[in-house]
Amino acid sequence: MALRHANGSKPQMSDLYLFRASLRDMLRPRRVAAAVLLATLPVALAIAWRSTTPGAAFNPGLVYNIMAGGIVFGFTLVILAVLFATGVVSQEVEQKTIVYLLTRPVSRARVLLARFAAAAVTVTAIVWVSCVLVALVAYGPADIAQSRLARDLLVLPIGVLAYGSVFLLAATIIPKPLIYGLLFAFGWESWVAMIPGSFQRMSIMAYLRVLAPHPQMATSERGPAEMLQALNPETIAVHTAWLVIAALIPVALGLALLAFSVREYAPKDDAE
Amino acid sequence: MIELTNASRWYGQVIGLNDVTCTVPAGITALLGPNGAGKSTLIKLVTGQLKPTTGQVKVLGQTPFANGRVYRRMGYCPETDGFYEDMTGREFVTMLAAMAGLRGEELAKRVAEALHIVGMEQSADRKLGGYSKGMRQRIKVAQAIVHSPDLLILDEPLNGLDPVGRHEMSELFRQFGRQGKCVLISSHILYEVEQMTSNILLLYRGRLLAQGDVYQIRALIDRHPHRVAIRTDNPRGLAMALLALPCVLSLRISENGTKQLELETRDPEAFYSQLPDLVLAGGFHVTGFESPDNNLESVFRYLTQG
Repeated sequence: MALRHANGSKPQMSDLYLFRASLRDMLRPRRVAAAVLLATLPVALAIAWRSTTPGAAFNPGLVYNIMAGGIVFGFTLVILAVLFATGVVSQEVEQKTIVYLLTRPVSRARVLLARFAAAAVTVTAIVWVSCVLVALVAYGPADIAQSRLARDLLVLPIGVLAYGSVFLLAATIIPKPLIYGLLFAFGWESWVAMIPGSFQRMSIMAYLRVLAPHPQMATSERGPAEMLQALNPETIAVHTAWLVIAALIPVALGLALLAFSVREYAPKDDAE
Repeated sequence: MIELTNASRWYGQVIGLNDVTCTVPAGITALLGPNGAGKSTLIKLVTGQLKPTTGQVKVLGQTPFANGRVYRRMGYCPETDGFYEDMTGREFVTMLAAMAGLRGEELAKRVAEALHIVGMEQSADRKLGGYSKGMRQRIKVAQAIVHSPDLLILDEPLNGLDPVGRHEMSELFRQFGRQGKCVLISSHILYEVEQMTSNILLLYRGRLLAQGDVYQIRALIDRHPHRVAIRTDNPRGLAMALLALPCVLSLRISENGTKQLELETRDPEAFYSQLPDLVLAGGFHVTGFESPDNNLESVFRYLTQG
C-alpha cells in the first residue's frame, strides 16, 4: 500500500524526527565532553587572569576581547564547526546509518538540512555559553552590558553558519573532510591575514572580525603574527563583510545540498 | 517489479557487477552467491544507494537512485549493523516510519504493529546499544515493514537469529510473498532460503550465473547426473531391475544395512516415468524415496564449483 506523502518545502513531521535524532547524535557524551572542555578553556583562562592580576590593573575589556575574540571566535568556533559540520555526513557513513536515511522517501536535501541544523544549533549553543561565561568572568554580572557580548552573540551563529556550510560542502564532496577542514581552519585561516595584499578577503575569519571587532587585541602586546597583520594595510568595509558572509552561506549550503543529492554515500566496507 | 538491463558496476579497477540482465517478479526471489559474488552491489543498485556504471536498473518502473517515489513503496533491511545506539528500538522504528510518511495515530499504531510482528514489543523501549544480534536483526526487519511496502529488499535478514527467530522471520517473508509483494532476499543460509522459495538469482564473480526455478535449473545441469536414493525391502532385486533401464548410469547398494540403493541418471524425467511400472511389476516394497542433489545447495555447488 502506497502512503500519502506531502512533498514541498513546508516542514514535515519527518524533519522534526530527523532533527531530534540528529541533535541527539550530536550530543553524544564523548562529543559533549570535548565541547565542554573547549567551551570552558577561555573561561578558565579568564578566571586565571583575573585571579592573578591586582584589582586596579585588571582590564576587563582586554581580557574579554582576547578570550572572546582570540579564543572563542578564533579557535572554539572554528574547531567545533569543523568537527560538527564534517560529522553531519561522515558520521552517518562511518556508523553505517546513512543507508536508512537515504532509502526513505525524504529528499536528500531535507536529510542534510535537518542534520546541519542540529549541528549548527549545537555549536551555537556551546560558543554562546562560552562567550557569556567569559563576559561574566571579565566584567561581572553588574557591568556585563559594557562588554561587546551582544554583538558577539549576534555574530557567532553567523560564523557558525559560514564555517559550517563551507565544511559541510567539503564533507559532501571530499573524503577525509576533517583533515582538510582542520588544515583550512588552522592553516589557511590563521595565516592568510598576514599575507600582504587582498588574500585576507579569502578568509572567513577576516569578515567575522570586521562584523565583531575586538579592537583591544590590537593594542595588547604584539607578537610576530600580530605585527605581520599590522603591516597589512588592507581593510574590509562592514557592509562588504555582511554581503560576503550573506552570500557565502547560501552558496556553500546550496552546493553541499546539490552534491549530497547526486553523489553516492554507501558505507565503504560493504562495497564489493 | 525489479529490472536490470546490462547493468554493470565498477569500483575503480574492480568490477562488482558485470553486465547483469534479469527481472525479479512478485513473490519471493532468493539472491544467492558466495562472498564477493556481487549480491551486495546488486542490492545497493536496486535500493538506489549506487548508480550503475553502465546499463540500467529499474524498480517499479523507475530509476531508484534518490527516488522518493520508489522508496515510498520499498522496505529495505540492510546487512550492515549500523544503528543509533542511544535510541530505543521504538524510537528508531518511529523515526524511520515518520520518514516513510506515516504520522499521528497511524504512526504509533503501525510502529506497534511492526514491533509486534517481529516479536520485539517487550524490548522495544530498551536502547539499541544493549540489543543482542538477533534483536537488532528483528528491529531492522521492523523498520523495513513498518510502512507496508510493496517491495521488500532483505540483505542477509536471517543472520544472527536463533532457529526460532529464523523460522518466524521466514514465515513472515513467506506471508509477504503470498500477498503478492515482491521480496528479494539475499542469504547464505541455503536451507532456510529453500524453505521460502525455489525462485533464485545466482551470482558468481559479478555475473549472473542462473535465474529462475531451482529445480528447472537443476534439470538443465547436464554434467552432473541426478542422484536418486530409494529405500526398499529388497535393494538387490530392485537394483537388478533398474539396471535394465537405459537411463540409469550407475547403481550403488548401501552397505550400512539401511536397505537403500542410490543411482545416477542423466534423464530424470524418463527414469521417474518408468520407475512406478518397474516397482509394481517386481512387487518391490518401496519405503522411501529422495533426490539428494535436487536442491538449492547442490545447484549452488554445481554452478559455482563446476
